[in-house]
Amino acid sequence: MITQEKYRSKAKKLLADGSVKMVIGYSPGSTADRRRPVFVRSFDEADQLVLDSNCIGNLSGYLVTEGLLSDEKRVAIFLRPEGIRSLNILAAESQLNVDQIIIFGFDSIGREVSLLLGEHAGEFSELIGSIKENPPEKSSDPLLYQIEQMNPQERFAFWKEEFSRCIKCYACRQSCPMCYCRRCIVDSNQPQWVNTSSHTLGNFEWNIVRAFHLAGRCVGCGNCDRSCPVNIPLRLINARMAEEVLESFDHFAGMSITQEPVLASFKKEDSETFIL
Amino acid sequence: MKIVGRHDEAPGVKTLRLEFQDPDDHEQFKKTFRTGMFGLYGVYGEGESTFCVASPETRKEYIECTFRQSGRVTSALANADIGDLITFRGPYGNRFPIENFQGKNLLFVSGGIALPPTRSVIWSCLDQREKFGKVTIVYGARTVADLVYKHELEEWQNRSDIDLVLTVDPGGESPDWTHKVGFVPTVLEDAAPSPENCIAIICGPPIMIKFTLISLKKLGFDETNVYTTLENRMKCGVGKCGRCNVGSVYVCKEGPVFTAAEVSCMPAADL
Amino acid sequence: MTRILFSDKLDNCVTRWQSAGFTVMGPVSKDTFSSYATVEHASDFDLGIVLPDRSLKELFFPQTEPLLRYTIKQQVINTEDFNPPSGKRLIFGVRPCDAAGLSIDDPLFGWDYKDEYWFQRRNDSVIVTIACTKADDFCLCTSLKLAPDSTNGSDILLRPLENNSGWQVEELTDRGREAFLTIAEFLQEASEPTAPIAVVPEMFNLDTCVAWLQNPENFESKFWKDISMRCIGCGSCTYLCPTCHCFDIQDEGDTYSGIRRKNWDSCSFALFTMHTSGHNPRSTQSARWRQRIMHKFNYFPGKFNVNSCSGCGRCSRQCPVDMGITETLQKISTLHS
Repeated sequence: MITQEKYRSKAKKLLADGSVKMVIGYSPGSTADRRRPVFVRSFDEADQLVLDSNCIGNLSGYLVTEGLLSDEKRVAIFLRPEGIRSLNILAAESQLNVDQIIIFGFDSIGREVSLLLGEHAGEFSELIGSIKENPPEKSSDPLLYQIEQMNPQERFAFWKEEFSRCIKCYACRQSCPMCYCRRCIVDSNQPQWVNTSSHTLGNFEWNIVRAFHLAGRCVGCGNCDRSCPVNIPLRLINARMAEEVLESFDHFAGMSITQEPVLASFKKEDSETFIL
Repeated sequence: MKIVGRHDEAPGVKTLRLEFQDPDDHEQFKKTFRTGMFGLYGVYGEGESTFCVASPETRKEYIECTFRQSGRVTSALANADIGDLITFRGPYGNRFPIENFQGKNLLFVSGGIALPPTRSVIWSCLDQREKFGKVTIVYGARTVADLVYKHELEEWQNRSDIDLVLTVDPGGESPDWTHKVGFVPTVLEDAAPSPENCIAIICGPPIMIKFTLISLKKLGFDETNVYTTLENRMKCGVGKCGRCNVGSVYVCKEGPVFTAAEVSCMPAADL
Repeated sequence: MTRILFSDKLDNCVTRWQSAGFTVMGPVSKDTFSSYATVEHASDFDLGIVLPDRSLKELFFPQTEPLLRYTIKQQVINTEDFNPPSGKRLIFGVRPCDAAGLSIDDPLFGWDYKDEYWFQRRNDSVIVTIACTKADDFCLCTSLKLAPDSTNGSDILLRPLENNSGWQVEELTDRGREAFLTIAEFLQEASEPTAPIAVVPEMFNLDTCVAWLQNPENFESKFWKDISMRCIGCGSCTYLCPTCHCFDIQDEGDTYSGIRRKNWDSCSFALFTMHTSGHNPRSTQSARWRQRIMHKFNYFPGKFNVNSCSGCGRCSRQCPVDMGITETLQKISTLHS
């Protein structure tokens, strides 16, 4: 696999000459089509790295692991376009210094993997711009399409049913690169803003609070959806929020490292005159 | 239980004296409580918090507890008034086997807010003073203001049958401080109590316990004669919720009182 | 000659059990997930899946359980206990690993202080297991010295027939016998060969692993950091596990009224052991993963003589980053040699 070999040799070179202390990528998983995150720290270990269309998870969340980048050394990481957008957001929100990150960008259509040109965060603005201008067809996601046809009462009933399965495991939060708060709002108990019980109210509170906290920040990587053990289609809520934010503020998350977070900035042209 | 007494020990540290409202509950307590046991004190709507029972087994008409206001439940307890009702679940856990200490000398070593559990044992022994040999108490806090049970410290100071060694951390002394200055393990080594026929009871923050155990070993104490109490995070108190599990013990059921020998078998990293 | 329940009679049995006062439950599939749920008719069952996504534990230890309600009016506190729900249940088509999970947790919930919520439900439920004839890549019951036809925790074991027309009935407990007495007329005496049980390859040598874990020198091994680097601390594995049982107690309400609840919690969560002082004994994810493995295969069996794992494989199946007990124990067994 040419693309895999190219990046593998590149990883080996960077590790061998000390340009990076670690390469975060994918290695084979416990079944033929599973891939697991791997943290390669030496030339020999680099043979574990694989690259194919099954490499789906957004790995950028590992970049904000406590202490990883505090020694100011550099780390290389395999990222898809949405992963690069997550990286931009993390930088814009001052969670990391992009000079420490070398990007191994890639994308896939069907089983074909293509490498993205560029190594540093600033080099992908054209790519991200074109993703913004060319959103996927609504009909390509049947469930999304189905929900779009519902009226508000039907939608509420749909989500009530979906959330009834939530067991408050917080896998959605842990796997999301944007959820990096040292103490999440659900873990605060003075006061206990959000209940930890999984009854209807507790489940709505949690999922809706998280959706709001991600408004204008979610890049649609799907980590939350894939990690939910009870298969709640979380990507749809966040996708809808992203759409609302795009319509209201022309804000597409992750365009650059200087993009201001949409809900943390105010412009005179905003339709509301105050925070609410 | 009803709060019948309330006392400020140190900045942020309060003692509450509680009385049972239900005579059956009180009878049950009198039958089961031994020094070293703990309870879960709570306020409905806020939750429950775990502290030791700071009053001795020789005085079971009431329960005293001492805590530092640091979180949601402790803040609610600190703001409660005399006459207010709070919840108590317990007593749980194991106890200090003080009947085995009779005829021996006793060494109590404690630091800061960890004096309460030790104090329960101290009074349980002092109330039966003739059964025990020499009593030495080594207690220290960060500053003079942080010493708890100041009135009782004075009382122990004035008794001829107790050897009290008080210390504050370097920098914590006040201009009129006449006692020692230094960390508890260092002061302990200077006092050099004899390990002969002596039981040591220590309680303090994890770091203090670690260094005190080293000092006691240096002084010649055997690990089976050194007792400590572990104050882990607990929730149910009855060995079900898993929070206090350290190594192969559940602190709420097989503790909180352990000998130093038992503690050395626990994975140190998890304490 | 043995007693056979032919599948065309299953609906009659369900109706009979319902009129005998049982709520009948079993594996039910919806489009995106499967769980043990209440059924109206036998056609609601999905007995073809390897095992439901959600474990049986939820039927005995729900995610959230109200313990008591309090109301406070002018210094007078009234509390009202929530009694554990009573009501007979017959859970049909349980997988042997799930049933074994129940029998693993029984000694913990009964240790000294009996958890009435657990035992009321246990006593009210009849567990009818069906031996597994197929497994997937994640099943590992045989590595835990169990089997696709284990009887632990079960009241009746049904062995699928080779021609798939029904099951051979094996009565294991009095509770099971009583429940099957009510449907005796739907059973037949016959000699039907049973299908071979699923082949579940052994993934690791359990004894080797346990010996390594019991060695105190390995507590600080570098292995723990390496194996858990990708763990994101999400709690999925603990929540789906049929034997994990850690919980939290929370008061929901205000100064005047509310409910005290028992909610699931997980040792994988960062704040699980956080002391109010700010000291957290298990502050790294590797320490938390180590606790999980040690608790399941060293501390729990040390107390209760049974490993806290029944080999269902849900942890590995569901893990968002493809970790799980299997990978860890496989690596441990290579370390020892």
